[in-house]
Amino acid sequence: MRILIVEDEPDLLRSLAQVLREEDYAVDTAADGEDGLFKAESYDYDAVVLDVMLPKLDGWEILSRLRKTKKTPVLMLTARDQTRDRVRGLDTGADDYMVKPFDLPELFARLRALIRRSANKSTNLIEIGSVTIDTAARNVMRTDAPVELTAREYALVVFLALHRGQVVTRTQLYEHLFDESDSTLSNLLDVHVFNIRKKLGHDFIATRRGHGYCIE
Amino acid sequence: MKIFKSIKWRLQIYYGIFLALALMALVGTDYQLERNRRFESIDHYLNLHFDRVLDLMQRPPLFREGEPLPKAPPPEPPFPHHQPDRPPLPFSALSSFINDRAFDMPNINPTYYVIWLPGGKELMRSTNAPSDLEMPQHHEIRTRGAYREHISNGLPGFVILVGRNIAPELNELHRYLLKEIASWVLMLFVGLSVGWQVAGRAIKPVEDISAAAAKISAGDLSQRINVAETESELGQLASVLNSTFSRLETAFAQQRQFTADAAHELRTPISVILTQTQTALQRERNAAEYRETMEACERAAQRMRRLTESLLELARLDAGQEPMKRLKFNLSQTAWDCVELVRPLAAERGVKIHCDLPAVDGYGDAERLAQAITNLLANAVQYNKANGEVRISTKLQGSMILLAVSDTGPGISSEDLPHVFERFYRGDKSRTVANGNAGLGLAISKAIVEAHGGTIEVSSNPNVGTTFTVRLPT
Repeated sequence: MRILIVEDEPDLLRSLAQVLREEDYAVDTAADGEDGLFKAESYDYDAVVLDVMLPKLDGWEILSRLRKTKKTPVLMLTARDQTRDRVRGLDTGADDYMVKPFDLPELFARLRALIRRSANKSTNLIEIGSVTIDTAARNVMRTDAPVELTAREYALVVFLALHRGQVVTRTQLYEHLFDESDSTLSNLLDVHVFNIRKKLGHDFIATRRGHGYCIE
Repeated sequence: MKIFKSIKWRLQIYYGIFLALALMALVGTDYQLERNRRFESIDHYLNLHFDRVLDLMQRPPLFREGEPLPKAPPPEPPFPHHQPDRPPLPFSALSSFINDRAFDMPNINPTYYVIWLPGGKELMRSTNAPSDLEMPQHHEIRTRGAYREHISNGLPGFVILVGRNIAPELNELHRYLLKEIASWVLMLFVGLSVGWQVAGRAIKPVEDISAAAAKISAGDLSQRINVAETESELGQLASVLNSTFSRLETAFAQQRQFTADAAHELRTPISVILTQTQTALQRERNAAEYRETMEACERAAQRMRRLTESLLELARLDAGQEPMKRLKFNLSQTAWDCVELVRPLAAERGVKIHCDLPAVDGYGDAERLAQAITNLLANAVQYNKANGEVRISTKLQGSMILLAVSDTGPGISSEDLPHVFERFYRGDKSRTVANGNAGLGLAISKAIVEAHGGTIEVSSNPNVGTTFTVRLPT
């Protein structure tokens, strides 16, 4: 899952990016409104965390411009706590609204919910045959036995599981699993898929040659 | 007692006392007049009878034909002042007159008569005269119990009493008095209830106003008293209250905005501290990471400290807790010190500071004014273009000291210009994280200058620069 954080307070931006990466998200950052809008329009993020008071372009503006082209889930994170601000945020097209200061577990839960909803899932549990994925606890069980996955493997499994039945292209996978700070090689993806098949069964991920991967 | 503090009750009580006294006087006078009228008529009647007795007494005795002549001199007394020219009457005529009840018909309380001879001997007494009657010592008209008696001498030495039982008249008067008292009570009651209504009507607008005011103070400051309903003198009161409420509402709105802004400013550093610490605590970190967290927390805490200090400063200036000193000080030296303070920042941004500071004395709190000047200079450096210029000058203009700080920055837009002195107002809608400025600097400068009785103005030209002008009284 790839997330964009637009926030102009450097200390906040840095620690948010760090802690979300530790939650196995791929994280991009933008410190001002123009950069934020550019990035949000350039990639299909799984979620955007958007501050309101930003240099150059404020959060409202970014949101309304972004909504002309993309349906990316947006969580507004701002110090403005008045009801009219929340209403304005949600009406402009934000999917969720959080007021600073906030607690990290809540932010994580809201992001999970946003990503889950955009994939039309209503719970954190995804069952695929004998495999159960709990996106809240971030663990994977195969016939009631926990399976150890690396962060990248886990992200890949979850992304494919959320897009179950769809063929996900390699480009899509790169866009959603790696952030701008990652330097990746194409065959790295094949290594991850190979390892996942070893742990969750060969049939768990199907390869559609020339198209991409799919979980049936 | 609480009710006696109510205006309505007090009005009612004063009015009630006045009304009771006035009615009492009226009723009393009426009763007195009625009583006088009745006694006058009784007295007139008694007078008539007295005259009649006197008349009878003044006739010479007449002896009827055939009656034997009295052998002795006529019985005592021959009325000494009889008038011989009038037809004589037998002595018994007087006696029969005073005992003639038919004379008084149909009065069942006939008049009675007693005549005393000079020396106190009783000459004649009508049979219906009260038995306890003794010779009175004075000539008068008197009321003795239920008797009204007319006492006079008529003839020298004699005492003639004509009296009458006036019990029926007294009873009638008594009933009259009761009626009067009853009507007094009735009128008082009617008067009081009318008075209560009138007082209520007079008080009603006041009650309306106070009810409306109570509703307003109960939280909704946007309400107003309906002035149309409370015309007249009270309309003025309502208008005055309304304008007070308007001012209150504005003040409350400003206060709310200020509190909201202050809370808003505190939220960002608090979020930094929360996120930093929660991130750090998620798992074991190495020393460098912990250090980084601590540094970020320190920056956030410093920012909060600056903010709270500014807020405190403003609160003090607002409350006027610290009266400004009125000391003479060297303003140019103070301005120089301020310039030295911002020089490092200016050097960092490549901004040159030009000073035109002839020796001028200022009056007031040098430390506070220095704070205001430093704020202006720091702004001028901060919002300047790279390698720009800042100019600070002082001069005397009439009785005012003029201090101007100008920059060569991008200027302030005409939309923002009227608001720059407002608290938490920032032309740039985002936080200017670089200096952690919450948008209070100019508000504080303004408050300081105004506390000195001075003024501060701003003018700006896009792409040319901005000039802040401070005028201080000498």
